[in-house]
Amino acid sequence: MKRVYLGEFEEVVLLMVAFLEDDAYGVRITHEIIQQTARGVRLNQVHASLHRLEDKGMVASKMGDPTPERGGRRKRIFTITAYGRQTLSEMKSVRTHLWNLLPSSMNTLAG
Amino acid sequence: MKTNPKPTPPRWAARLLQWYCPPHLVEEVQGDLQEEFYYQLEQYGLLRARLDYVRNVLGFIRPFSIKRRKSYSSNPFTMNMFNHHATVAFRNVIRQKTFSAINITGLALGMTCCLFIFLWVRDEKAVDNFHANGKRLYNIYQTTASNGNVTGNYSTPYALIYHSLTFNKRDEATAFSVEDIREVVPEVQNISSYATGYELPWGHSETFQAGDKIQKFDGSRARKDFFAMFSYPLIAGDAKSALHDISSISISRKMASFFFQSPQNAIGKSIRYENKIDFVVNAVFENISPQSSLTFDFLINWDSQMKQLEWASSVVLTTLEIDESANVSQVEMKLNRFLQSKRSKNDPEIVTVGLRPYGEKYLNSSFVNGRPQEGRMVYVRIFTGVAIFILIIACINFMNLATARSVKRAKEVGVRKVIGSSRFSLINQFFGESIFLSFFALIVSVLMIQILLPSFNGLTGKQIASPIAVPSYWIIVVCLTLLTGFVAGSYPALYLSSLKPVRILKGALRFTHAAIWFRKGLVCFQFALSIALLIATIVISNQTYYVQNKNLGYDRDNIIYITLEGELIPRYALFKERAMQMPGIVMVDRSSEAPHAMGFVVDENDGLKNTNTGDDAIQWEGKEKTASVGFKPASVGFDFINILNLKVAEGRSFSKSFATDSADAFMINEEAVKQMGMKDPVGKWVSAWAKKGHIIGILKDYHTNTLHEPIKPLIIDVKEYETFGVIMVRLEPGKTKEVLATLATLCHEINPNYPFAFQFLDQEYDKLYRNEKVITRLTNIFAVLGVAISCLGLLGLVMLAAEQRTKEIGIRKVLGATVANIVNLLSKEFVALVLVSFLIAAPISGYFMDRWLQGFAYKIELSWWIFGVAGVTALAIALLTISIQAFQSAIRNPVKSLRTE
Repeated sequence: MKRVYLGEFEEVVLLMVAFLEDDAYGVRITHEIIQQTARGVRLNQVHASLHRLEDKGMVASKMGDPTPERGGRRKRIFTITAYGRQTLSEMKSVRTHLWNLLPSSMNTLAG
Repeated sequence: MKTNPKPTPPRWAARLLQWYCPPHLVEEVQGDLQEEFYYQLEQYGLLRARLDYVRNVLGFIRPFSIKRRKSYSSNPFTMNMFNHHATVAFRNVIRQKTFSAINITGLALGMTCCLFIFLWVRDEKAVDNFHANGKRLYNIYQTTASNGNVTGNYSTPYALIYHSLTFNKRDEATAFSVEDIREVVPEVQNISSYATGYELPWGHSETFQAGDKIQKFDGSRARKDFFAMFSYPLIAGDAKSALHDISSISISRKMASFFFQSPQNAIGKSIRYENKIDFVVNAVFENISPQSSLTFDFLINWDSQMKQLEWASSVVLTTLEIDESANVSQVEMKLNRFLQSKRSKNDPEIVTVGLRPYGEKYLNSSFVNGRPQEGRMVYVRIFTGVAIFILIIACINFMNLATARSVKRAKEVGVRKVIGSSRFSLINQFFGESIFLSFFALIVSVLMIQILLPSFNGLTGKQIASPIAVPSYWIIVVCLTLLTGFVAGSYPALYLSSLKPVRILKGALRFTHAAIWFRKGLVCFQFALSIALLIATIVISNQTYYVQNKNLGYDRDNIIYITLEGELIPRYALFKERAMQMPGIVMVDRSSEAPHAMGFVVDENDGLKNTNTGDDAIQWEGKEKTASVGFKPASVGFDFINILNLKVAEGRSFSKSFATDSADAFMINEEAVKQMGMKDPVGKWVSAWAKKGHIIGILKDYHTNTLHEPIKPLIIDVKEYETFGVIMVRLEPGKTKEVLATLATLCHEINPNYPFAFQFLDQEYDKLYRNEKVITRLTNIFAVLGVAISCLGLLGLVMLAAEQRTKEIGIRKVLGATVANIVNLLSKEFVALVLVSFLIAAPISGYFMDRWLQGFAYKIELSWWIFGVAGVTALAIALLTISIQAFQSAIRNPVKSLRTE
């Protein structure tokens, strides 16, 4: 089986897209990541990984409505695809499985 | 903040983004960046926001944000427009069948013409340029100045060929100074000397025999470096040993196959030359390609020429192979210094030599002021010009029709502009259309080339192969198409796209005066070119007819001539006696040169006033020391005057009844009398070399060569036992075939080791004008083409004029105009144009034709009727073309033309 590789940052972005639902576009995602994870993220990084995710088929996009603060430009709204969702849940279950393999002391420590 | 304008991101960064970011991404990225900018502005202030913006813009320069997407075009709009333009162009072609046909035919004819000329020019330029060493090969030419005359030719001064022979009178074979050149001029690596055995005045095909096979071939003599310097491929033998000694001969594949079945078989075999010398075949070369200006079926070693063979003419072609790094003008200088050291100090002539790249000899063969210049190059230039002109004529058709039709296309342009088409896109559209049409024309003309190539080869005497497989041909073809499309489409594209949509759509389109004048100017230009071509073709055809049919002063019909060779030389008297008894033979006589192309002139360049040594070959009673006349000398038989039907102006002709005539008699022509300044010449003494005698008669002037050359002084005497020359036989008209058969038998009997070969005098004379004939045929064709294409265009214009004036014609007819009135109405303007173009063309072509005629010593006059005929022809053809259409619209029922709106 050909496994699709998903980077750590891509995973975060993908999660954000899933979380933001209909409001997932570049700026919003960036700000949300900064807020939620407190890491310094730049707009171009987010854009780049969004495009990669789209190439991999994990997100789909369409042009949204124009807004005045963007100078009348439209934004590109990303939504997670079924494949993206499946990949996320697979990764999560793999991780949970791996966590479960740890000795319980470690488990509590991390928990 | 409120009073200030809203802060914006740095403009340069925004521009940068717009520039590098692909269209499908730019909107979202710009949007995101701007949103972020205002967010930052609110949170951290302007400076931070701006810095951040710049950082973001720079940060976005990444592969994913620069790369253009392939899946759909970056500009889908133009893609659709391309298809759209193609459709529109195609529909236009279909809808306007007549105009498209006129355009395509015109362009195709023009392009065919151009391509043919391109092929011809390429072939001409390829002559002599196939040698691998080509860049290092230089021909020596000599410039002779004497008596104020400067002449030149591609020959080598005698002092360079064999000074020891002429000045020291020692053993002929020793110390040829050509060999010394290499020591004096170290830049010279190899030297080739070349002389033909068949050139006039004394040359002829030479006879070879191997086993029982006898045949005549044309061949030359060359120095042993010949095959090393020139790239004539050898099939058998090698370049080093090919001509290494006096007994060696190299022969062509043709000759080898004839005598020895195969080239390999020929090596080492012996072959008998002129029944007197045996040569050994050392090499066999491939048959000489038509792209070589030197033609020969065999090459004999140079030493043979120097020691045992006759010279065919005084022309020796010397070619030097010069070190690539050498300075040619320095080599020239050294050569001249060397030459002067070998020449006699008392010689009144000044002879210098120059070097010319080997490949230029063919196209630059005529000499002006002693230097090679022009020659065939003139024709190459003229025809290139003609090709371009004919293409221009065809392009003008296209332009004119397109602009004239633009009333209809203007609406389309208006609508397009209103919808938002840019001028650039319109220009593209029209260029596209014309290139589209010229591709149509291209297909037609490539087909035409394929079909017509054999007849073109026949016409020009060339052997051009089908160029389908030559890449450079296709490059030219495509370039030509694009160029034609571009030129043809330029005016419509620029003009139509400049129209103002409001005016067009209001229906108020009028051609500006400038546009109308431009169109008229183009028609004028077109017709001026055609008329000029017509004038040229009339002049050239007439001159060619004139030279071929002018009374030359002798009767050249029904005469054949045979080279005097082998046993015929000692047994000439027997031959004459036997031949005269045969039925169908009127007369037999001899001459040292064939009478139609006598080339040998003595004393021509002598007589420089101060240094004249007075040792001219021809002397006469009362000759002053400084006087000098260039004579053509000939030794003939007793019946020479009768056989050629020459007229005697004064005195008497040679006769056997005067015992002294074979030793003492000379005849000269009127030109000689004039130049010698003799009064009462008959009876005065003259001498030619050692022979002294008296003038017995004066011949009326007759032409001894082509009409390019003025009649020169002639001196003839009787020498029935001369060892070279030709035998002339006058046949009874109508019995040629039988007589030739009996003559052949007679020759075989008297001269068994030589094949019977003869020439018809009139045919050989015609052959001297081969170039003129080709030129005549080509100009005829070009003139017809030029006129035809121009008339096609004219037809189109009249059709349009008639179409646009349908209503006017209808109303005129209703009001009582006759058909003649209407035809007149439509043709008047065009007839005026043709007249104007005639006025332009006549003086220009007159000037150029006059210059062309300067090349002939005897020529037709450039009289007014030539121009008249050309003008009337052009006018008549134009009128005919116009009136066909004009008549059609004039007889139309006005009810029909007025009904529709």
